[in-house]
Amino acid sequence: MSVSEEIRSRLEAAFAPDRLDVTDESERHRGHSGWREGGQTHFRVVIAAPSFAAMTRVERHRAVHAALGPDLVGRIHALALTVEG
Amino acid sequence: MADVETQIRETIEGTDVVLFMKGTKDMPQCGFSSRVAGVLNFMGVEFTDINVLANDDIRQGIKDFSDWPTIPQLYVKGEFVGGCDIVTEMTLSGELDKLFEDKGVAYSKEAADKIRAANA
Repeated sequence: MSVSEEIRSRLEAAFAPDRLDVTDESERHRGHSGWREGGQTHFRVVIAAPSFAAMTRVERHRAVHAALGPDLVGRIHALALTVEG
Repeated sequence: MADVETQIRETIEGTDVVLFMKGTKDMPQCGFSSRVAGVLNFMGVEFTDINVLANDDIRQGIKDFSDWPTIPQLYVKGEFVGGCDIVTEMTLSGELDKLFEDKGVAYSKEAADKIRAANA
């Protein structure tokens, strides 16, 4: 399973989101630190789920980090997050 | 590690606005750090930049301290505000202005309005 697919499956399982876009943006960061051939290092995630509605911005991000888990977060170099309730 | 934690705590509590970043405010070494430092610079906010690339203990220590896995991290008056995405969203929504006003941090409203106008 690619990193993108892992991100998608863990977030779907945790939040049953109304909207979930996982984009591998690694190519836009070619040559930057953390980048490697083949991509799967820099991601953009847009997620919307009702459970985020009552959370602050920091809480929303923490919930996403927790759902991904430290192992997966540790393998991602950069994660741009847009979380909506 | 306790020393690092103490050092981080003292920095955050003793300085109004602190940005833990990759590189420095004058020479950022990461696009995300660069964006946050750029916003603060443009808004005329006085802040202390801590280059995590210069110290591996702080680089890991700040992530443990805030339970937040990424850099940059912005702190205002001892409180964790967020990383690049959150700061960007708050700049565009005006929440960052409100935070600075509530916390008594000087900034240029005119500059903040310019950022919003440019991104409208």
